[in-house]
Amino acid sequence: MTTAPTNASAEVTAIDAAARWPLLLLIASAISWLVLSGVLALIASIQLVQPAFLADCSVFTHGRTVAMQESIFVYGWAANAGLAIALWILGRLGGSLLRATNWVVAGTVAWNLAVALGVIGIAIGDATSIVLLELPRYVQLIMVVAYGAIAVSGVLAWIGRRTEGTYAAQWYAVAALFLFPWLFSAAQMMLLWAPLRGTLQAVAAGWFSQGVWTLWLAPLALAAAYYVVPKVTGRVLPSYEFAPHSFWCLLVVGGFTGGRHLVGGPVPAWIASLAIVSCVLLLFHYFIVFINLRGGLGRGSTAARLVSVGLLAYALGGLVDAITAFRGVALVTQFTFIDVAQQQLALYGGFSLILLGAIYFAVPRLTGRSWVSGALVSGHAALLLAGVAVLVASLSAAGWAQGHDLLNAKTSFATIAEHTRTWLLLGTAAQGVLLFGNLLLLVNFLQTAWATCCPTAPSAENPFRQPSSMEATAS
Amino acid sequence: MKNGPLFFFGLFAALTLSWAGTVLLSHHQLGGLAPFYDENESAAFPLRQPGVAARGQLVYADLGCASCHTQQVRRPEFGADQAHGWGERQSVARDYIFQARPQLGALRVGPDLANLGGRKPAYDSDDLISLLYTGVIPGAKAVTHPYYKFLFDERPVVGEKSAVALKLTGALAASAGSQIVPTERAQSLVAFLLSLNNSYDYPEARPFVEKTEKKEGEKK
Repeated sequence: MTTAPTNASAEVTAIDAAARWPLLLLIASAISWLVLSGVLALIASIQLVQPAFLADCSVFTHGRTVAMQESIFVYGWAANAGLAIALWILGRLGGSLLRATNWVVAGTVAWNLAVALGVIGIAIGDATSIVLLELPRYVQLIMVVAYGAIAVSGVLAWIGRRTEGTYAAQWYAVAALFLFPWLFSAAQMMLLWAPLRGTLQAVAAGWFSQGVWTLWLAPLALAAAYYVVPKVTGRVLPSYEFAPHSFWCLLVVGGFTGGRHLVGGPVPAWIASLAIVSCVLLLFHYFIVFINLRGGLGRGSTAARLVSVGLLAYALGGLVDAITAFRGVALVTQFTFIDVAQQQLALYGGFSLILLGAIYFAVPRLTGRSWVSGALVSGHAALLLAGVAVLVASLSAAGWAQGHDLLNAKTSFATIAEHTRTWLLLGTAAQGVLLFGNLLLLVNFLQTAWATCCPTAPSAENPFRQPSSMEATAS
Repeated sequence: MKNGPLFFFGLFAALTLSWAGTVLLSHHQLGGLAPFYDENESAAFPLRQPGVAARGQLVYADLGCASCHTQQVRRPEFGADQAHGWGERQSVARDYIFQARPQLGALRVGPDLANLGGRKPAYDSDDLISLLYTGVIPGAKAVTHPYYKFLFDERPVVGEKSAVALKLTGALAASAGSQIVPTERAQSLVAFLLSLNNSYDYPEARPFVEKTEKKEGEKK
């Protein structure tokens, strides 16, 4: 590789080199958690068709397995990956070296220890039984502090930015950095330290769990998408002038979708009505995101492919959310696997595919070398896309059958289990495929990080190379 | 977005607005919800949970039962909850005011449990205890529910058999000279499940009808 440094130096910069190890640590933790959550998802999925599976073991009751899987997925994988990409984007767009990287390292270690401790807590029976807030309360305070330590670096990069204008990627990243600690600590306060009364807890929990999605995870994913897509296409985003409207629409309206799962529940009906209206208003946001970022569709590299499919899943997830919120539809879909399918479409299809694409884009730039194995990259991408598609489709089919059966009181639960069995088995297979694919990513990532840390042939690789060679070419 | 403080304020306002609009407003409406005093019965409803049921609710939470069971009955004309026999009326906020952590749930892999103690025909605690041990729904044959043997102890029979020991036959029965006894956790879980009873009819739980003078003894 003897490319002139001039045209490539724009790609691997001193900013990347300075942020290399803290961000690689975040990404490494994220991928490890993703694999672990895949193992638990597989167990939980098998239990749905075979209730006796691991039932004797108190650590793996279905409820605890689901709680551990969900916590690991959100606080292990999504938080680490999202923060890594958000900090990287804020550093690059801010135009100066990331500061406070020691804080990032200390915060990452503390955060991951807290999540690990919390998951052990769930396994031994300390779960709080609140969706997305399952981790026992003794780790949650540590998590808030650790999150703050990691976010400091991003906030400093935002405040000390050297550029005149700001970009959509920056708004979303900063919003996610700020909003999560507020949301998280408010929810802890209302649900764990000074719990609200009766079903108000369900209202607050709904506000929190929808907020985790619309005010934290979705902005993190969009920060990645708004950064990667223009980089890949090399073009100005179409209708970019609408991006601020879409941004504020997500933040202002998104928080009101909290009552979405309380249709027909023991709470005042206006809470659900407000959420339904908000879900529909939010379609404006999904539409603008789609219009802005549609240019990434059909691009060759693995990173671009994952991000663009992720964006499609993101927009589709919003649409499904709005449709299933309506009372007439919720009558069938509520309390069924369709809700699970919608969640997987958003979290796996939307968030994770975008973030994985961003990781495939960022790691070569952070390490200054391409992925060790191109075959593993394309293998992972193919397994991911197939796995997510089959998972969401099979869960929806299972939910559809379940929803119609539930409306007929003569159908016993044993019969429903028979009707959904095939689909749930298919979903289990999809979980297996996803787990295997993510293992490929883990192997590839560890090899790449190892090669960066201890190059076998000293300086055989020139850190300044053609941008194109950084993309995984086998796609 | 160039104006840093304004941007920051916008973020904060967006979050606060949604919090105020959903949580604060509903707290304003429901936070002071009191038990309903029925003069005919000289009692206030809902009844307070017995201590053993409150402990059982903690077991329910820590095993994660809510991942497959809901505890919210939808109103009769909305879904088939009433036809399933899960409850004669919809669940209302007042049902839950004495529960430390209501477990509304979001997925019905199994039946709704909001009114398990008020079902007709009624479950008794032996049915539920045996369900927890064998995974077989009362009256059914196949294992359709996870079984939680860790909630039970196998002990030698010393003197008289324990009053709560399981009456099992066949392959599941305890070996000669020993008995299978539910632990305190299993017993309080069952006590909690049987304490779930929504049969008292609150005024707000009745289906909405055009305002007419209520006649004495009228039902819905």
